[in-house]
Amino acid sequence: MALLRVENLHVRFKTPFGALRALRGIDFDLARGDILGLVGETGCGKSVTGRSVMRLLDENAAVTGGRIFFEDADLLRLTEGEMHKIRGNRIAMIFQDPATALNPLFTIGQQIDDVQRTHRAGSTRDRRRARLELMASVGLPDAAQMADVYPHQLSGGQQQRAMIALSLAAEPDVIIADEPTTALDVTIQAQILDLLRRLQRERSISVVLITHDLGIVAETCQKVVVLYAGRVVEKGTVEAIFADPQHPYTRGLLAALPRPGSRGTDLKVIPGNVPSGLEAIDGCAFAPRCEFVMERCQRQLPPLMSLAAEHQAACLLHEAAVHG
Amino acid sequence: MAFLSFLIRRLGLSVFVFVGVLILTFIVSRVIPSNPAALYAGARPRPDQVAAIEKKLGLDKPLVEQFRVYVGDLLGGDLGESYHSRRSINTDLRIFLPATLELVIAAVVIALVLGIPIGVLAGAYPRSAFDYATRFVAVAGVSVPSFWLALIAQFIFFSQLGWLPLGSRISRDASLFYPVALQTGFFLIDAAISGNWQAWLDALHHLILPALVLSAYPVGVTIRMTQASMLEVLSETYVTAARAAGLSQRVILFKLALKNAIMPTLTVVGLSFAYSITGAFLVETIFSWPGVGKYVTEAVLNVDFPVIIAVTLVVTVVYILVNLLVDLTQAFVDPRVRLA
Repeated sequence: MALLRVENLHVRFKTPFGALRALRGIDFDLARGDILGLVGETGCGKSVTGRSVMRLLDENAAVTGGRIFFEDADLLRLTEGEMHKIRGNRIAMIFQDPATALNPLFTIGQQIDDVQRTHRAGSTRDRRRARLELMASVGLPDAAQMADVYPHQLSGGQQQRAMIALSLAAEPDVIIADEPTTALDVTIQAQILDLLRRLQRERSISVVLITHDLGIVAETCQKVVVLYAGRVVEKGTVEAIFADPQHPYTRGLLAALPRPGSRGTDLKVIPGNVPSGLEAIDGCAFAPRCEFVMERCQRQLPPLMSLAAEHQAACLLHEAAVHG
Repeated sequence: MAFLSFLIRRLGLSVFVFVGVLILTFIVSRVIPSNPAALYAGARPRPDQVAAIEKKLGLDKPLVEQFRVYVGDLLGGDLGESYHSRRSINTDLRIFLPATLELVIAAVVIALVLGIPIGVLAGAYPRSAFDYATRFVAVAGVSVPSFWLALIAQFIFFSQLGWLPLGSRISRDASLFYPVALQTGFFLIDAAISGNWQAWLDALHHLILPALVLSAYPVGVTIRMTQASMLEVLSETYVTAARAAGLSQRVILFKLALKNAIMPTLTVVGLSFAYSITGAFLVETIFSWPGVGKYVTEAVLNVDFPVIIAVTLVVTVVYILVNLLVDLTQAFVDPRVRLA
């Protein structure tokens, strides 16, 4: 039984140029204790998916279809009051740039305390003890002093640790981490990812890791969902997808990674651009950029097809293999 | 420590501003082509009378010498004497300044208490009916002339409803039967100190209408500034992060966002406070409020330089103090300012 289950999620944005189909049917499951990577290029809908789960889409965006189950509840049907008890408390979120995600005018301790007070009973002293333990556990040194400093007094890595402490303050089951390391130095990136893995192990927290970096996915995740133009093109275990990518887009992404020995040769690129989402797409969204494109790819929307126990791809190339 | 050095630097700057204003006002008052001595002498003075008065007032001495004498008096706490009424300016201001300050402080308190929550909610729910309604109120508050508002207010609350008095700081009955022993010059404070609650209520009664009329402008400004500032702050990532953490709308708006949004409002309200010291003239006149505005207007009409300079300096000090207060508030609110 999946802890978080997204079914056929559709999201539209109102823009001055017309409706933009940001998500066109996203499906994935997050099992308890897993780290699931949500991968894709800028604009593929990975952040929108995260925001939809939190029900924190911008005003000009709306979910137009689908369901999001958390345990047994459809989050999209909850009242705003019920949603308040989910946010932070059961599902928390980490943001890309901790410098802007922390409130500049409140100390780290005050910010964590606000979350504690909202979701947990307990005396001021209990909260303070829990807070200091929490800060120590995310690797903030001298937690007692760190609690009284303001975000601008911390380094980028410390800020992200503080952000993670903030997200853990109410002991949630799921963390949605939206590009948590993109704004950080490479060495700090590795530390933050280590921290996420450790938290997942020690606290059996499930993580949705939104990233554009396949290297991070390979190191950190158990499952991968590859998005393209608001649809899932391939998903499965990290081993299956990295060893044997089946969708031409996934293959292209992996081929575009620099490798040892590729020095001096041009990196592979996927020609063409991501569709804007403003035009209706009848067939496969990747068809215009695909080197294996067939005539029916332009008309027929490829469904997700199972290739192995935990490996699915949405490509008509595999139709024959599956059904034939 | 950082805070103390911030305070010292800030005070040092204020001294510069004060000295600059002092020199400028003094020079301007001496350069303007008019003859204060002739004014002092009264109607149709003889030339020898004027000369005698010039000598008496020291106006025959060189400008630098005159300035030295003036600064000497000023350092001794003496603002001089009105050429027109020959009264001590210190004595006059001890009555007029508290009257105006009481009025203006009341107006600013009304502006903050009313304007900030309205501005916060208008910013939180943009394009709502509430937002549009408050925009209308705010623009009206800023643009309706205060004298018109004062007359309308008197018409409604005095003539029609009879709820509030027409003007002055206290009723004749109260001043006869419950005289207030003046200490600070703020009637509400003085009456409270002496436990004279009948006079206190009477003074409050008289304060409401002029304070409300005077608050129209700062209320409008407060609403608009707070609304605009909140709109900006609410689009910050840390607000989304607070929502994602499940914090209540009340905490997000009135604690987390407002602290980030409040400074522009306080800056502008501080300026309008200092402006109102002399700018309340029309309201003071209509409500027969014995304040600085009325006092200085008469001085200007009579070319009564000592009074004009004195009031200018007082207003300068008020500007400096209010700005200092705003800056200190900012340093208190924003830890990053303390370092700068």
